[in-house]
Amino acid sequence: MKRIFLQWVLVFSVYNIGVLPVAAQELGQSLDSLEVRPSLVNSRLSLPTQLTQVHVISPGEYFAPPLVADIPDDRFGDMVRMGRNIFTKTGVYAKRYAGNGLNCSSCHLQEGRKPHGIPLWAAYGRYPMYRHKTRTVVTLEERIQDCFIYSMDGIAPTLDAPEMKALVTYTKWLSKGAPVGVDLPGRGLPNVSRTQDLDPKRGKIVYETHCEFCHGKDGKGQKHTNGEGYMFPPVWGGDSYNKGSGLQRVRTLAKFIKGNMPLGASFSLTNQESLDVAIYIWLQERPRNPKMSQAMDFFFPNMAR
Amino acid sequence: MKSSSNIKRSLVSRLKNMSVWSMFLFLLFLSFIIFLIQSVLPISSSSHNLHRLAGEQLALNGRGNIPACVPCHGLQGQGNAGIASPRLAGLHPDYIKKQLEDYARDPLRTRAVVEPIARDYIKTPRTYGDLTVFTPGTRYDPKMNSLAKLLSAEDRHNLAIYYSNLAFVASPKAYDFETLERGEDLALRGKPEYGLPSCNSCHGPKGQGFRAIFPPLAGQPVTYIIAQINKWQTGKRDNDHLALMRNIADQLTDGDKVNVAAYYDNLSYSVNSE
Repeated sequence: MKRIFLQWVLVFSVYNIGVLPVAAQELGQSLDSLEVRPSLVNSRLSLPTQLTQVHVISPGEYFAPPLVADIPDDRFGDMVRMGRNIFTKTGVYAKRYAGNGLNCSSCHLQEGRKPHGIPLWAAYGRYPMYRHKTRTVVTLEERIQDCFIYSMDGIAPTLDAPEMKALVTYTKWLSKGAPVGVDLPGRGLPNVSRTQDLDPKRGKIVYETHCEFCHGKDGKGQKHTNGEGYMFPPVWGGDSYNKGSGLQRVRTLAKFIKGNMPLGASFSLTNQESLDVAIYIWLQERPRNPKMSQAMDFFFPNMAR
Repeated sequence: MKSSSNIKRSLVSRLKNMSVWSMFLFLLFLSFIIFLIQSVLPISSSSHNLHRLAGEQLALNGRGNIPACVPCHGLQGQGNAGIASPRLAGLHPDYIKKQLEDYARDPLRTRAVVEPIARDYIKTPRTYGDLTVFTPGTRYDPKMNSLAKLLSAEDRHNLAIYYSNLAFVASPKAYDFETLERGEDLALRGKPEYGLPSCNSCHGPKGQGFRAIFPPLAGQPVTYIIAQINKWQTGKRDNDHLALMRNIADQLTDGDKVNVAAYYDNLSYSVNSE
């Protein structure tokens, strides 16, 4: 009798486990993405043991780069303007070096000004510096060449190319008054601690709720309505950064996502969500690393560098 | 029986003997026919026009206790800066439809739907950290709330089709240099140290709008833009995606609103017109 009772309990519980999630899924899937939006991004329900972390914005802490209206009206100013054009519309003003649909300002957000968005003003005073990736001391120009080879999936401009001069001039102008050799607040990307618990399935759900409406269901971004260039840059696919670039490292991408995405809601994703969506993006197709052989890329597609 | 099998056999042999060139010509012929049908279809299928005409009828004359849209939104849907009523001409039809739906929704009866992030209940236990709450948006306006409740889904669709097909040409207005310079700085670069992205990074280059989610800022009356940002700040408007616009509006000062609205009012802009 006891055994029969236990069996019934077992059957009933299995039945419940099977039915409940289906009902919940249907409830979730019946929502129209345009009609309904996930609100309360910042205010998550949380247990007392898992307090919600709130990022405090303290604008006075960060370095303030000069205004575009204050670019001088001389030959130096012309070079700065050319650098800014290349920086914001790389596919137009540096077409011979750009290999994909991205601009410099796709990663260095807000024309290279945003703190925690890889700002140029924090980088200028730190170069030349030792880089672990190349195991050499690199200058700013050599670092920009690497940007073109990997993140832009293109060709490196030579050190004396006018485009290179313009970009360095723009960087120098943007960091007017910044100290040299100092780690400024807002430098590079915010920190995301390591974890072993990454799940691309959870990442897919984060992508669908937080990223998809700009970057597209297939991650290929969205082009301008006139068909020229991207309004929202592609995060994977042939027009995105290649496998040798910095964002192909999962933790770096998670840092970028946490500090900058979605636009206007920086630091709204948790570390876990950023890492999950980063590994989901890491698993997708993108151009191969130009420094790695095609055979390696074919047999080990996800071996990053 | 024998004759039918003969016919079959002859058909098969004919298909087998069909040369590549005849196949190619046949495909060419087919594509030509498809092209003809496609060129004729838009003229013959008048459902789009019917919706547009019905929308025009409703917008110009109203129906029963539904008043016309024209007195506030203008004869050409160009808006009215005096009463902060927006331009509707050339907006995305889905955007117009969504706004009408949000106007009609009762703000007190918004239902919250809990979406589980961890869907696999058996493998991962459901904890409170894994929940995201979805709520549909609301938009408060003393006039439009009562009007939108009178409209049916068909009416909303008709109005959206009518207004999205209207032509509009903005007449740029003059402002002082400093206002425009500050407005441009906000529109193109935002306020990076506050975590505020530029307006154009979502609302499109020159604020011309992008798809259904991001409405155009260019060509909207200055008073309307300022009034809407005020509504985002006070919570009277709350129908954005991922609470993005609410977060952004919270960072804008009164000066920012005036400057950026003036910048967009100074731009030349046209839609649906040659």
